Formats: sequence, structure tokens, C-alpha cells
Amino acid sequence: MQSCWFGDIDGGKCTPFTGDAAAYARRVKESRVSMDNFVPLDWERAVACGVCRDRAEYLSLLQKICIAGSEQGIRERYASGDVELLQMVRTLDEMDTVTNLLSERVADWYQIRHPSFSRKYRRTPAHVLVRSIAERSRERGGGGALNRVAQEIAGLAEARTALAKEVSARACGVMPNTSELIGGLVAARLLSCAGGLKELSRLPGSAIQVLGARTALFAHIRTHAPAPKHGIIFQHRRVHNAPREVRGKVARVLAAKLAIAARIDYYRGRAEPAFLEEAQARIDRAGTPDTGGEGGSQP
Amino acid sequence: MIRIGDVLVSKGEGGVYSERMLDGYRVWDPYRSKLAALYLLGKGIELVPGMKVLYLGAANGTTVSHVADYTEVVYAVEFAPRPMQDLLEVARRRKNVMPILADASCPEQYAMLVEAVDLLYQDVAQPDQAAIALRNCIFLKKGGHLVLMLKTRSVDIRKEPAEVFRDTLDILISAGLTIVESTWLAPYHQDHAAIICEK
Repeated sequence: MQSCWFGDIDGGKCTPFTGDAAAYARRVKESRVSMDNFVPLDWERAVACGVCRDRAEYLSLLQKICIAGSEQGIRERYASGDVELLQMVRTLDEMDTVTNLLSERVADWYQIRHPSFSRKYRRTPAHVLVRSIAERSRERGGGGALNRVAQEIAGLAEARTALAKEVSARACGVMPNTSELIGGLVAARLLSCAGGLKELSRLPGSAIQVLGARTALFAHIRTHAPAPKHGIIFQHRRVHNAPREVRGKVARVLAAKLAIAARIDYYRGRAEPAFLEEAQARIDRAGTPDTGGEGGSQP
Repeated sequence: MIRIGDVLVSKGEGGVYSERMLDGYRVWDPYRSKLAALYLLGKGIELVPGMKVLYLGAANGTTVSHVADYTEVVYAVEFAPRPMQDLLEVARRRKNVMPILADASCPEQYAMLVEAVDLLYQDVAQPDQAAIALRNCIFLKKGGHLVLMLKTRSVDIRKEPAEVFRDTLDILISAGLTIVESTWLAPYHQDHAAIICEK
């Protein structure tokens, strides 16, 4: 028996398949075609089978099925959630860049407008200054382009805060184990750097450790500069709060556990309390200078 | 192929990628499309009405739309979902484009949909481009042509492009294909070669 998209041909007899385009597409997706002694399809068999009358009708029906199948395929690929998370976290990081850039510019501009103003001794970073300009101008109203821009930046900063919360929540859903170990935001950044959950789950711990420290890593490889101890995972308090002498070790142990966590996330998709407890304990142990030696102190 | 002066064009509904129009024809930009570059270099297989084409690595459907202007039907295989969204939009407006979301290195995924074709066009950024082409030659009619756009830098970044080119030719010849002609796509595309074979 030969299976075609439009029906099954057995001997000389053809049983047409019935259903809408999506049903045809599912049939194509589920069928397994053997490539040994494969002969490409002859469209006239579809006419003989009674699913269409001529070439034009054949092509039009086939196109509907192809489009339905591709749309279905796209939906499936996007369904895992990590594709959208990737866009969300990249948007977040770009918003940071943009707001910082604009804030510095507006602060400079403001100083020109107010010749007696100085940021010295005031401990006002640019974004705080921008926020106060925005608030003052909102109360008074008007005030030209400078105030408008300041208000826009303040609005952007609000949107950024909301987005950060969403990223965190989404990361906890998509990668529960990784997020539990390192926090949703940093987990999402790791995901963005690796290019997806599948890609992240296939990285070794040593690569996860220096993910995001590309310049330092290649400087190390090319010019034998000191190797980077940590990339994105430095953003986690466990790494940046660790005493200097054990920071590299904490980063290494954490990255190794993250590699396992990412694999559990990809292949099981749910939190594993037993693993998490054991991993947390191991990372905590690495952070204590005296007792952290076991298993990790050998050169 | 239709030319107006030195400009390669195709006849069809415009506005696919904000391409320029010339006397009601769509201008086919050789710097964007490797196939257009091949024709402007005076080589390539003439696209004729009634032709059936299997297009591997269809991407956003830019070149696909021009090929579809000339031929009867284009089976356009693309693996990545994002460009596929654009390709679907092209397909919705052109009756003869069959979008297929599948991996070109696994022809069994779409073997059921594709008929025997006159032209197999491949433009995929994969290290095993020759092997993918050979696996898909199963759809090619006897006497049909394979146009392989060889991205030498995707095959092996450390090797000289000329060396990759020679190796690919060897693989294709030892698989029983006849090389009709081959050319580098400079000045339009760097380190890209076109290899045209007959089955």
C-alpha cells in the first residue's frame, strides 16, 4: 500500500482521505515515508482518486494543506514559551541601555539650562535627576522638549520595571529549576545568551560559567590573559557576594549545577525538589572558605 | 529570463519586499538574491513556464517570489519559524508557492507533498550542503538540474573557499551528477559559489 497526502493507494484502488486542510496537514506530519526505492508523487493520481479535477485544483488544495501545516508547525515551535522569553529579556536589556543613554544626555542638557546646577556632592545619578525633572514638569505642566523627554524616560523606566517582573515570572514557568537556583531574571539572561532552552541545556557547565564574558574569554584564549571566572552568573548575589578567594569556586559549582538544572528544565519541564535541595547545599558549601574544599578544591 | 536593459526583472505582483518596479516588472536585485546574481553573470538555468521547482532554504521568500513569477510551482522548504511567517505571507498572495516548514536534510519530512521537479535550487547555510543536495536529488527528474549555492564559509570557516569548492565538486561528481557549469558569485556575494549539475 502506498500512502499519499490525499489518500491511500492499494493495488489499483485508491481510498481518498477526507477532512479539512488542518486534518490533511496532520496526516502528512504523522505519516512516515520510507526513502528506499522512493518514487516522487504523480499528481494525476489525485485526480484518479477523486480529490480534485485538474492541475489547478490540485495545486490549490495542496497549497491550503502546506499553509495549514506550516502555520501549525510555527505554533508548535513557539508554544514552549522560551522563544517569547528570549524576546522579552532582550527587550529588557535593550531598554536598560536606551534609558541609561538618554538619562545621561538629558542630565547634560539640564546642566546647560541651569548654569548654577551641579551634580557634585548631591549623589544624584542621572536617572534620579531625570525622574525629578519629570515629576516637577508634570506638576507644573509644559516646559518644552527637555521636560517631555524626561517624562518619556520616566515612563520607559516604569515599563521596564513591569517587564522585569513579567520576565521573572515567565522564567520561573519555562525554566523552574534554573530560576530557583539563580533567580528568574538571571536565568532568562542565560537563556538569551545561549539562544534558547534547548541550546542552554546542551552547554557544559564550564561554558555556562563564562556565558556573557565573551571578550574576556577570547582575550584569555588569544593572549593568555587570566581566564574569566564568571559571566552573567556574576549577577547572582551568591557569586558577587562571595569572598574574593572563593568566588571562582562558587561560580564553577553554581554553573555545574545550572547545567544540570537546565537539562531537567528542558527534558522534564518541572521543578525537582530533591535535586534543588542537594544543589543549593552544595553551592552554599562552596561559598564557605573552610569547608568548601570537598570535591572542588583540587586543581 | 526577462531583462530590461541590464536589469533583471520578473513579472508579478510587486511589494513583496519593497522591491523597485520597472515598467510594471519587479526588479530582481543581485545583491540580495544569489540566483539573480547568477543570471546577471550570464550563467544559470533558464526559468520557463511549466517548470516545477524544489527550493531548499526559502528564508523570507524574497527569491522564492521571483522564481514563482517565472515557473509553474515552487515547493519552498524552510526550517526556521520566523522567516516562515514571512514566507507564508508570500504564499497567501501567490497561488504557486507551497510553503513547507521542514528540515531540508530530512527529505522524508516533506516527501509526501513534493512531486518530481525540473529544478532543485538550494541555498542553505549548513556545513553538509552537498550531502543535503544529494539527499534531495531523489525529487529531481532525470535530466533535471541542481543549482547549488555553495556558502563556503558555512561549510568550514578555516578552509580556503576554493578548497571547499573543489571538495564539493568532488562529492557531487562521485555521486553521479554531471557538472554543467560553476562560478563564483563575486562581485555580488563574497565567498559564495554556484554549482549547476545535471542528473
